[in-house]
Parts: sequence; C-alpha cells; structure tokens
Amino acid sequence: MQTKTSQRWVDWTIIAIMGALGVFMLMPFAWLFSMSFRTVRDAYRMPPSFLPPNLDLANYRAVLDSSIPFLQIYANSVEVAVIVTIGQLVTCTVAAFAFARLDFPGRESLFFVMLVGLMFPAQVTIIPIYLGFAKVGLLNRPIGLALMYLTSSFGVFLVRQFMRSQPKALEEAALMDGAGYFKIFFRISLPQLRPALAGLGIITFTQTWNYYFQARVLLEPQDSMTLPIAMDVLRGYLGSGNLALVMAAMSMSVLPVILLFLLAQKMVIEGVAMSGIKN
Amino acid sequence: MQAAVIRQASDLRRAQAQAAYLFILPSFALYVVFVLAPVVVTCILSFSYYDPMLGSRWVGFDNYVRFFTDDRSLQIFWNTLRFTLFAVTGNVCVGMLFALALNRQMPAVLLYLFRLAYFLPVIIAAAFVSIVWGYFYGDDLGVINYYLIRLGLSPVHWLTSSRYAMMSIIIMDVWKNAGFFMIIFIAALQGVPKPLLEAAVMDGASYWRRFFRIVLPWISPVVFFAVVYASIGALQVFESIVILTRGGPGDATRSMSIYIVEEAFDSFEIGYAASVAVVMTIVILAITALQFLASRAWVRH
Repeated sequence: MQTKTSQRWVDWTIIAIMGALGVFMLMPFAWLFSMSFRTVRDAYRMPPSFLPPNLDLANYRAVLDSSIPFLQIYANSVEVAVIVTIGQLVTCTVAAFAFARLDFPGRESLFFVMLVGLMFPAQVTIIPIYLGFAKVGLLNRPIGLALMYLTSSFGVFLVRQFMRSQPKALEEAALMDGAGYFKIFFRISLPQLRPALAGLGIITFTQTWNYYFQARVLLEPQDSMTLPIAMDVLRGYLGSGNLALVMAAMSMSVLPVILLFLLAQKMVIEGVAMSGIKN
Repeated sequence: MQAAVIRQASDLRRAQAQAAYLFILPSFALYVVFVLAPVVVTCILSFSYYDPMLGSRWVGFDNYVRFFTDDRSLQIFWNTLRFTLFAVTGNVCVGMLFALALNRQMPAVLLYLFRLAYFLPVIIAAAFVSIVWGYFYGDDLGVINYYLIRLGLSPVHWLTSSRYAMMSIIIMDVWKNAGFFMIIFIAALQGVPKPLLEAAVMDGASYWRRFFRIVLPWISPVVFFAVVYASIGALQVFESIVILTRGGPGDATRSMSIYIVEEAFDSFEIGYAASVAVVMTIVILAITALQFLASRAWVRH
C-alpha cells in the first residue's frame, strides 16, 4: 500500500515536471506569435508577452506591403517544396519497387552505392554544384535548388524497407498471370504504399521548406530566395525598427509546417520512428 | 523441351532486369549528377588551386597542410568538434530522459500533448527559431536577461562573450533536436520485452538498475544509430550559428560549414574550401565506420 501511494506520487511528479518543461519548449513559439500582434510602438516594451495582446493583422499587412518581395519569396518556397516532394515520391517509389520486388544483377551493390549517399553532407557537394549551375544558368533560380533534391537515398531506403515488410504474394501471383511490371507496380504495389508515401511526403516537404545551407549558397537576389534565408535578411532590413514585423513574417513562414504537423502528427512521428528503428 | 523452358526463364529474367533498371534509372541518374559526381569533383578540387581565369593547377596536399597548420582553421575545426561532442551528448541524453518520462502510464491526452510540445521544435527550421532565440539571448532587450534582472541576478552575455556563446548555441540546439531522439527512443523502448522487465522487478532491482542492466543494452543499437545520426547533423552545424553569432565573437563559434562558405564564395578559395569539406566528410565517414564496428562487436558480445 505504502509503495503504491509513493509510486503514484512519483508518477504525478514526473507528469508535472514534463508539463512545466513542455511549456518551456513551446515558449519561443508563443512569444513569436504574440510579438507578431504587438503594435510597432510596443514591440520592444518589457515585460515580454506570450499571449497575443490583440488580433489586429496590421503587421502582417505591413510585411506584404514592404519593399521586400515577401509574396514572391513565399511562392518560391512553395514551388521548391512542392516540386521536390512530388519528385521524390515518384523517383523514390519506383526505385524502391525495383530494389524490393525485382531480381536483377547488381541489385545489392547498386543499393549499397545509393545508401552511401546518406553520409555525404551538402557541404561536400555544394561547390561543384554551384560552379555547374553558374555555367548552365541555374544559379539564383529556385528551380535549381529543387533539381538537387528530386531524389534522395533516404526516401529510396524508407520506401524499400516499408515494401519489404509487406507480403509480396499478390505481386508474385500477378507475375505468374503474365502481368507487366508497370501494371504490377501501379495496380498492386502502389496502393499498399499509401502510409509510407504519406510519411515520406510530409518529411520531405518539411525538410525542403527548411533548407538553409544550400539555399543560401545558390540563391542570392531577394526575389529568388526561399523563406528561411529571407528571414535573416528581413531581420536586418525591418528588424532594427520593428521586431513585430519580423515576427509576423515568421508566423506566416512557419504556418504551413505547423499545420501539416497538427494534421498529421501521427504520420510524422511514425515516419521518424520507423526511420530510426530500421537502421 | 527443357531448353525451351530454360530459355523462357532466362527471357523472363532479362525482362525483369530491364524493367528494374528502368525503374531505378531516374533516382540513380539524379544521384550520380547531384551527389556522386560532385563528391568526386570536390575531392579533385581539394588538391588544386582553382582559378577560373588562369586555369587551375595541381597543388598536392597544400590545401590540407594549410588547414591543419593554420591556427585559425584549427580553432574552427576544434569549435566544430566541441559543438558536436556537447550537442550530441545533450541531445541523446535529454532525448532519452524525455523518452523514459513519456514511456510510463499516463492519460492519453497528456501523452499526445507532451509529444506535440517536445517534437514541435524539431520540424521548424533552425533558421526560424534561431531568430527568436536571438532575441531571447539579447544583452539589453533580451527576454532571458529581463527575467534574470527581475530575479535580482546579473545579466549574462549569452552571445556576445566568447565564454558563453558556444554554450548558448548548444542549449538552443538541444532544445530544438532532443525531441527527435525522444521519438526514436520511445519506439525502441516499446520493443523491450515486458517479461524481462517484470522478472527484474520481482528480483527487486531498482528502476535505474533495470535501465542500465536490461533496457540500455537491449536498445543499444538504436542508441548507436542516434549518436551517429546526431554527429552527422552536428558536424554540419551552420544556420543556428550564422543567425545567432555570425561565427563570433571573433572566431569563437565559427564552424566548418561557415568557413567553407566564406572561403569558397566570399574569398573564392575554391580549392581550399573543398579540402575543408573533404575533411568534414572524412570525419563523418570515420564516425559511421566506428559505429558500424562497435555495434558489430557489441552484438557478438
């Protein structure tokens, strides 16, 4: 009896500590949103606030009206993230199908070569890509950034692992019946992959939305930038005068990712857990 | 008759291989163009002095010698390793504590909210949250110093003193990334067999004893993976430092990634920057190989 009550005490203490820490984890976001609603005059007034004082969208409008091409930058981010996400869903899925379901000479070694790609950081590829892009006119164009990431070793690996955990009896039966490989892929394999594709899509979109190092090197003029690099510029441009405007721009920039996360929390977390466990 | 069957089988096999190569082609071609070829070119560049006007020349190991003998680049190398050591330790340990705390009986709603709160920073770009933390860490108008002063403590130069700047960046990094490792560890903890733990409880083993004797060895492959994954990420640290301190004060927080970009695209020392990138890659490969060997030895154990 004694130990049971003390155990319960331990449980609730841990929950209380985790709750307090959770509030601490969310504090920067609360501050960000709250700041974005402060008036220009109040922006630097102390104490800081963690709840919006009003819901006046003046700062948001001011960002859109500013001399920085915010809408263009936003459109660039959307363009890159959408192209990369669709591209990876296609290229990674078809490659994973071949690696998981078909038999061919060199399968293991080709797969190994692709896996090695997980270990090369962008730092060791960016210089030749920059020089090459300068030659072919892809520098300072968002589409160049998108091209770099139309496939990923991680995506191929993730989808292949998922596929291998699924039974392949259906595919084998279809093969016996003389169905073509494309037909098998589209009719049988693809529908089974829905959870893996949703997970990969969300992870890829988020990752691409957040690219910084590559974007900063490849995209210099303001109207070619994506949001993460634009924020730093924005801070210097508007920030000295107005913290509230920067935070309004930030709120708009993180919104798609937060919405995606709230809508599909389970998939994001399962995707991450899956990628960790399977390694 | 038999020959016909064999021919049919080999036709089938050939058709299958052809289809397979076709399916792999888009990924593999893109991979060669945007990963493999650039890596090879970077390696070649690292042995050269690159000059687009006068042509490049071969300089052997000069760039590497420069990197390993120059005080400034050694300081930057050391910064990166130091950041990696502390950030990885912090992320993995805090992630594990979070995972242990959430891997208990608690109402489902609380669990949902906790996971949400702890994981949210993971998915928001460092570029965004660093700007927020920049204001938190501010000297005069900083949110943290405001509360320190209110509590009667003296304010801290979080980002402007070379003593604290790196620590401040590491704190933010742990805040941002620990949730990722928490998720991986929760999944691993759920794989620990229950009878094993119950038997240990019967024997009267304390919580931490059970953790170190049973749980940790059981999930050690995942912990190894987490350490390597975290190291690969930490060695590339870039935007959080660029935004919080721009590498300063002085060179106190400058990382290899920042150095590569500055040397390659500000000073146009392409060959030298390439050699720094190759050093970074070799460190990553070494850590990965070490993990591979260690986990193999461990499994045999």
